[in-house]
Amino acid sequence: MMELLTAEQLDKFTVQVAGLEHPRELIIDLLRSVQDNHGWVPDEGVALVAKILGLTPLEVEEVATFYDKIFRQPVGRYPIHICDSICCWSRGGDALATHLREHLGIDFGETTADGLFTLLPSCCLGACGRAPAIMVGQNTYGPLTTDDADRIVDALRQEAQG
Amino acid sequence: MPTLTIDNLSVTIPDGSTIFEAAAQLGIVVPHFCYHHALGAVGACRMCAVTVVEGKMPGLKMSCMTPAEEGMVVETDTAQAMEFREHVGEWLMTNHPHDCPVCDEGGECQLQEMTISSGHGVRNYRGNKRTYQNQDLGPFIAQEMNRCIQCYRCARTYQDYCGGRDFGPMGSRQRVFFGRFTDGMLESDFSGNIVDVCPTGVLTDKTFRFKTRLWDLQQAPSICPHCSLGCATVPGGRYREIQRVVSGVNVQTNGHFICDRGRFGSSYVNHPKRPRQARVDGTNVPVAQALNRLRDKIAGVIAEHGPGAVAFVGSGRASLEANWLLKQWARSLKCPAPVFELHPRRGRAIRQAVGPLSSHLASLRQVRKSDLVLVIGADPLNEAPMLALALRQAVREGGRIVVLDPRPVDLPCVFEHHPLTQEQILCLLAGRCETGLLNNLLSELMTARRPVLVGGSDLLGGVGLQLLGHLTESCDNDDRYCLIHPLLPRVNSFGGGLLEDAPQEDLLERLENGRIKALVCLESDPGSEHPEAGRMQLALSRLDYLAVFDCLPTHATRRADLLLPTATTVEGDGVYINNEGRMQAFSAALQPGIPIAAVTAGQHPPREFMPETPGSQPQPAWQMLQDLLGERHSVTALRRAMEQSEPRLEGMSRLQPGDEGIKVAPQDPEPVEESTVEIWSQDGDLRLLPVQSCYGSEVASSLSQTVTPRLVTPRLMVHPQEAQQRHLQEGEDVTLKTAHGLFRLRLFCDERMATRRAIVPCLPGTPLEIFVPGGLSLPCDIEGGAS
Amino acid sequence: MKQTEQLLFKNRRPGETAFLKEYEGSGGYLGLKKAVREMTPKEVCELVKASGLRGRGGAGFPTGVKWSFFPAENPGPKYLVCNCDEMEPGTYKDGELLKADPHQLVEGMIIAAYAMQIDTGYIFIRYAYKEQFAYLERAIVEATEAGYLGKDILGSGFGFELHVHGSAGRYILGEETALLNGLEGKRPNPRSKPPFPAVRGLFGRPTTVNNVETLANIQHIVNGGAVWFKDLALTVEGAGTKLYGLSGHLEQTACFELPVGISLRELIDDYGGGVWQGRAFKSCLPGGASTPFLTADNLDVALDYQTLEAVGSRFGTAGVTVFDDRTCMVAVTLNLIRFFARESCGWCTPCRDGLPLVVWLLEKIERGQGTDDDLQMLKAQHRNICGNSFCALAEGAMGPVDGLLSNFEQEVVDHIQKGRCPFTA
Ligand SMILES: Cc1cc2nc3c(=O)[nH]c(=O)nc-3n(C[C@H](O)[C@H](O)[C@H](O)COP(=O)(O)O)c2cc1C
Ligand code: SF4
Ligand code: SF4
Ligand code: FES
Ligand code: FES
Repeated sequence: MMELLTAEQLDKFTVQVAGLEHPRELIIDLLRSVQDNHGWVPDEGVALVAKILGLTPLEVEEVATFYDKIFRQPVGRYPIHICDSICCWSRGGDALATHLREHLGIDFGETTADGLFTLLPSCCLGACGRAPAIMVGQNTYGPLTTDDADRIVDALRQEAQG
Repeated sequence: MPTLTIDNLSVTIPDGSTIFEAAAQLGIVVPHFCYHHALGAVGACRMCAVTVVEGKMPGLKMSCMTPAEEGMVVETDTAQAMEFREHVGEWLMTNHPHDCPVCDEGGECQLQEMTISSGHGVRNYRGNKRTYQNQDLGPFIAQEMNRCIQCYRCARTYQDYCGGRDFGPMGSRQRVFFGRFTDGMLESDFSGNIVDVCPTGVLTDKTFRFKTRLWDLQQAPSICPHCSLGCATVPGGRYREIQRVVSGVNVQTNGHFICDRGRFGSSYVNHPKRPRQARVDGTNVPVAQALNRLRDKIAGVIAEHGPGAVAFVGSGRASLEANWLLKQWARSLKCPAPVFELHPRRGRAIRQAVGPLSSHLASLRQVRKSDLVLVIGADPLNEAPMLALALRQAVREGGRIVVLDPRPVDLPCVFEHHPLTQEQILCLLAGRCETGLLNNLLSELMTARRPVLVGGSDLLGGVGLQLLGHLTESCDNDDRYCLIHPLLPRVNSFGGGLLEDAPQEDLLERLENGRIKALVCLESDPGSEHPEAGRMQLALSRLDYLAVFDCLPTHATRRADLLLPTATTVEGDGVYINNEGRMQAFSAALQPGIPIAAVTAGQHPPREFMPETPGSQPQPAWQMLQDLLGERHSVTALRRAMEQSEPRLEGMSRLQPGDEGIKVAPQDPEPVEESTVEIWSQDGDLRLLPVQSCYGSEVASSLSQTVTPRLVTPRLMVHPQEAQQRHLQEGEDVTLKTAHGLFRLRLFCDERMATRRAIVPCLPGTPLEIFVPGGLSLPCDIEGGAS
Repeated sequence: MKQTEQLLFKNRRPGETAFLKEYEGSGGYLGLKKAVREMTPKEVCELVKASGLRGRGGAGFPTGVKWSFFPAENPGPKYLVCNCDEMEPGTYKDGELLKADPHQLVEGMIIAAYAMQIDTGYIFIRYAYKEQFAYLERAIVEATEAGYLGKDILGSGFGFELHVHGSAGRYILGEETALLNGLEGKRPNPRSKPPFPAVRGLFGRPTTVNNVETLANIQHIVNGGAVWFKDLALTVEGAGTKLYGLSGHLEQTACFELPVGISLRELIDDYGGGVWQGRAFKSCLPGGASTPFLTADNLDVALDYQTLEAVGSRFGTAGVTVFDDRTCMVAVTLNLIRFFARESCGWCTPCRDGLPLVVWLLEKIERGQGTDDDLQMLKAQHRNICGNSFCALAEGAMGPVDGLLSNFEQEVVDHIQKGRCPFTA
């Protein structure tokens, strides 16, 4: 969980970079790999990506801070993205968000004390036909009642313990 | 060349121009933020909207992004355009803090001007304002991000124009932040330019913070005195102290930007040890008295020993006027003509530039436009920083840069570097050794459309520049010259060289053989400028009389029998000639005087009233020299007289401070033959090359307290291979052994530099001051540990 | 309710994905074979032009026309980029298509590349489409093994390689020039046009950007011909089928492949199962978050480009979001504008600073604190943001405001006069 890039990943990217005319095109792949391993992208992750690509940390940061799904701050093991766009909103997205906030005892942008969940508002998840929807990590769920949402959270808690 | 109509006025402009540029030509300034002359248009701020009434695509258009078309009819003041621009003003002001009373941009805030010209006056938005936390960007630049209007000018200047890679935009939406990855000093040597381009008070000059409002600032167009490029600057000061320098605009030289040495290296003007008092034999006297004394003294020496016993030394720091008057004075006394460069090898290089090369000299603008620049024996960032920026612009336009130099040359752009030693370069130019590389480069030069050769005079010397001259001529063709851009030692080295009628015998020899009894130095310091500094100091001590005019505290001012304090560049009028032979005038922003802060110990107003301004004795050297000659001409009359006596200075009397300057006439092609042949075999395992460093080598800026954070510390640099062979580690303290003595220095390794070479920066005021740039490499050795 | 011929959703089964075997079994890659064996690249371009296919990514630019501007003869690298950013609220058709049948996109891209003589392709796919990303990677491996991708495709001498690039979440990446910056690893602000991507696109090279659905249609056009394809539509000007993604207050919110030109009423009643909970239809977004609202008066409008423009809206992506009669249109607009303000890239002023100002105004009105001046200010914001931003994002953001002001102004006035939202108790 804490490693930024595995030895294999490092080798793979180094080889890839050497073969590319514009290594910079790998920047999102690298940031996402660091995030997959580490949960979020710490300063050292930005520096590592910069080193691999021959960029400065600032040049990587310029890109990293643009994207929503690159976390430059610690998040819980399961970041929960709650869709607040129009289709989900029209079918109870707000209520679902309020419920999850109460159920988890955290507000948007916060992480539960056990380090498991972070609640994040998100734009449309491309699940508009299944509204209201949420995305946990990269898995999308919907349509959800508040009970469904509780079950998902409970299952993840179990997964984390087991 | 389309002709179009803007606000009922007709204008014809070059193809490829925009409506914005066409309007500007008519004197109509369309409100704008993201457009900047040096950065071009990006269409971000949307402030420059105008209405295209007739044209291919009529309607509201961004004037900076819309090409001007034949027959177009444009109106800048339609209701639609005015309403839109008012909204842009409104949008930009929603988050802007109302801290104008304490904002350093006050008086020169483009946001205020443009908001007013946009017509926005009342803020209807009552919500919360976005706020940011600022970063510490180091000693030069203060940041106040809440004021940002996201015009992206700073990032475009820092990254695109200047090649910096540690400052830029982060985040997005309404939260774009311009800064660094972490707090810390901006790394670029051109960082200060973001202050000039920021239209509001986000990025301000930290060294100038809270000092003066623009309307209280005394400013005047000037020339940067720190290297031979002669960039346009606008120094500003108040309370008798220089407080800041901003870039002037000269499209032929620096364009719109300057380097950080030029911007932050001017506080030598406020230096507490600066000569402020005329002094005769250790006693302070009025200037007039000192001048009388000097006149009498020199007359006395001539009477006793003949005119050959008095020597005059002008300099590349002194103005053209002062140098010329010195020459007149010497002539009137029938003394030998002045020496204008104490370093004989540097002197020979200057003579090449002034003479044979003068028909082929390239401006910085021509460097920027070049498609192939060969940089030979030069390290632009350390010797003439704005040249590095010009090279970057050439690369951005598709040009190619090839550098031949032993140093680990750094440039803010892509370039090809061949780390050849000084001897190898000279051999190569002389065609005496392996010429494969040169032949390749030559054939490229032949076919290039706008080739330029940059030659560093310190490394190449007169012989090298002469060889370079032959090279350019052989690459000329019917359509174009192959141009040359020589780097010279000082801001007015060219001017000094131009005044020199014939090469002078080395001053040191004349001093040592005792022929000279009295020496007059004009803003020059033989003890630190002559390559044999130690011998020179000894020789000086044998003089009967040393008279010195200077504005800087030097060895010479300290030991002078007679001292005359001169005004600095920012305190007087004058002309310098830059390295491409461009005469440029500067004018006084301030009157000399001890800064009020120094006089009153911070108290204001001063409690003690005096009839005379403390420290106001210094005068431009040319004024004092006129007094000596018993003349009192206006500066224009003086310049006219100079034009008469030196035909190459034609045009000098028409110069206006702040204009583009006028190039001196090229010299008739009469070859200056160099007597000294420098090509020699590469003996010794290791040779030492003393070089200039951007911060620390140039005297005036190194005396500027503001650049202290960037000053280079004494050090020794070698290729890692040399360290390995001697079992030395990077970072350890080693002993450098030379004919000038032993030096204990921290070792740095750089694999980009030539092997078998050791490099030290020349640093006045440190033990390394014994080394003077501009010579041949010296034998040396290195040992580990302390000596 | 007439059964529409299914092209794009032919292989769609709930919870399943068609891979190579099934795809080939249903006629997959016949179009590619036909194109490279029997047609010149120019003929493919002409065919697509004749078919009347218009871009399915929202702007609706005629695909064949776009391709005909492409400098196919230019030597050196050229790129085909498939836009699967699909982040506009109400739009999820590309995701559904790729979940069901990823090879369709791969085949369509190969034919498109052949038509424009392009050697390298990228599929740019949004972060949330993790499954689709995996399906595409598998499809590419399968297609390569089968000889449909590679240096010499089906012995034709034409070569094409295809990569999938996963994004990290921002709506602006759907704008084609921002997408190109994103692919290059730069800050994904849009680029100014001209130069258009066909002249200077990815890595400065000629590039075509097309939507997933656009590209997936290509092999069907090659197989069925231009006339057949055009006739699939119910309107004279229209062409082909369209994936309609239903959402909002309907009984059934799913994605259907139906003819271009079907009426809104039929779509809602027959496919959406009518407005939910027996309520009445009030309004809808006909083609994603950036398209101006329709009203009950428009229920019989044919869903096609021209017809919708005629009633002041746009076909967009055909993601139809329906609102019942208990919906506050100020609140809907506020939700939409918040989305656009949050997704602004931060490059130009009307969007970066103008949209948050509109959010503030709508919030104030929705809270019941709005004044007549605020309504005037809202109109002025709309008037000045429209058409004046650097890219089409802010323009799109004004779609709902446009719909609100032209169709529901009275509702705004009610908020102001009552001092509260009339839809809350
Ligand atoms: C803000 C914005 C977002 C966009 N998002 C998408 C998108 O997610 N998918 C897409 O195909 N086109 C999107 N577009 C349109 C593209 O810029 C481009 O027109 C399209 O990909 C071209 O493909 P087509 O001609 O096949 O439709 C977007 C445009 C804008 C201005
Ligand atoms: S810091 Fe200044 S120059 Fe940079 S974007 Fe903000 S206002 Fe413009
Ligand atoms: S409209 Fe302007 S700020 Fe908004 S996304 Fe486009 S370029 Fe960026
Ligand atoms: S609006 Fe929530 S998934 Fe699309
Ligand atoms: S000056 Fe034209 S858009 Fe900014």
